[in-house]
Amino acid sequence: MKSEALVLANAEVARARAGDLEALETVYRAFEAPVYNIGRRICGNEEDAEDVLQETFLEVCRSIARYRGDGSLWGWVRQVAVSKALMLLRRERKRSTRSLFGDGTTSDGILPGTPEPAPPVDLEAAISRLSPVARAVLWLHDVEGYTHEEIGSMMGKTASFSKSQLSRAHRRLREWLQ
Amino acid sequence: MISAVRHLKMEELLALRDGEGSAFARSHADSCHVCRAELDRLYQVRAELRALPRYTPPRELWPKVADEVRQRRLRRRLSYRMIVLAAAAVLAGVAILRGPAREESGPTDVWLIEETSRDLGPVIARSQELEGLLRAFRPEYRVYDAPTALAVSALEDRIVLLDRMLLEGRAIGLEREVLVGLWGERVEALETLVGLQATERPERVWR
Repeated sequence: MKSEALVLANAEVARARAGDLEALETVYRAFEAPVYNIGRRICGNEEDAEDVLQETFLEVCRSIARYRGDGSLWGWVRQVAVSKALMLLRRERKRSTRSLFGDGTTSDGILPGTPEPAPPVDLEAAISRLSPVARAVLWLHDVEGYTHEEIGSMMGKTASFSKSQLSRAHRRLREWLQ
Repeated sequence: MISAVRHLKMEELLALRDGEGSAFARSHADSCHVCRAELDRLYQVRAELRALPRYTPPRELWPKVADEVRQRRLRRRLSYRMIVLAAAAVLAGVAILRGPAREESGPTDVWLIEETSRDLGPVIARSQELEGLLRAFRPEYRVYDAPTALAVSALEDRIVLLDRMLLEGRAIGLEREVLVGLWGERVEALETLVGLQATERPERVWR
């Protein structure tokens, strides 16, 4: 994500940390699009992405006083957004009988119940057909730049789990994009 | 060791793309046009992923967030106010029980009466001890990574809720065992909170 659009004046951040709602709205305006995008990419649908956006900013409004400012605010907000998105996936797991974060239980990286696409499909369609976990790992690693260790830790798994999910995702993309 | 005839697996190719591949894998990819092409394709896919159009929120959500923030603040203020009012009521009760013009200065805790009882005394004492530890950590000046901040917020909310339940429980004359259980839960939450403060890494820098 480009950082130049995500830089806020220190004074504004200080006001937000003090709980000023106008300043918090400025923070929201600066980050709403990238946070929504993360939610949309990880969760794969509009409704969940809106939940991620809302939950993320409720948490930001509550916890921003604990952000000291020695790293980028976007990095901090993004971490909250990713946590919320993964939490939503876990909640989905509880609703479903399938284990989303289980090893290899989702048809080798394919969204359960999705019919095999007739290749070729475009990239956007292909990633929407991946299983939620494979899609989340693909996005967090290849786009957001998280390491396998970080992804494994955020999912309550190991770095190997993340590597394996990424490989599955790319194997599927290769099949579908040929 | 990777032979000349076995092509690289996806994990090996991804490791190479991410600059983490072995020297053998690199050497193989340099000499094998199939693996070289596959590696180039992976670079291409990553570039295309990063170039995908960004989604933007389809509707305005800030008013909803702001309303919820205001309501939460109000609820929290009311909760604290209830504690203060209950404290005042308990202190007034204690003053009446003790009678006028006593010289010695006694403890002024909200839970003065329970504090000296056999069943609630130890758990209240532990709770106060943990609150002292928390104050020493000066949590208002601490910085957390996001997952820790989420955990701290959840624990703080839990403690506010337990305080509320304790106050209301006392007001309606809840059974002692239930009060002891609530105090026990409060101690557990405080212990976890103290644990988080003690293990949290304040030097962490966000990208």
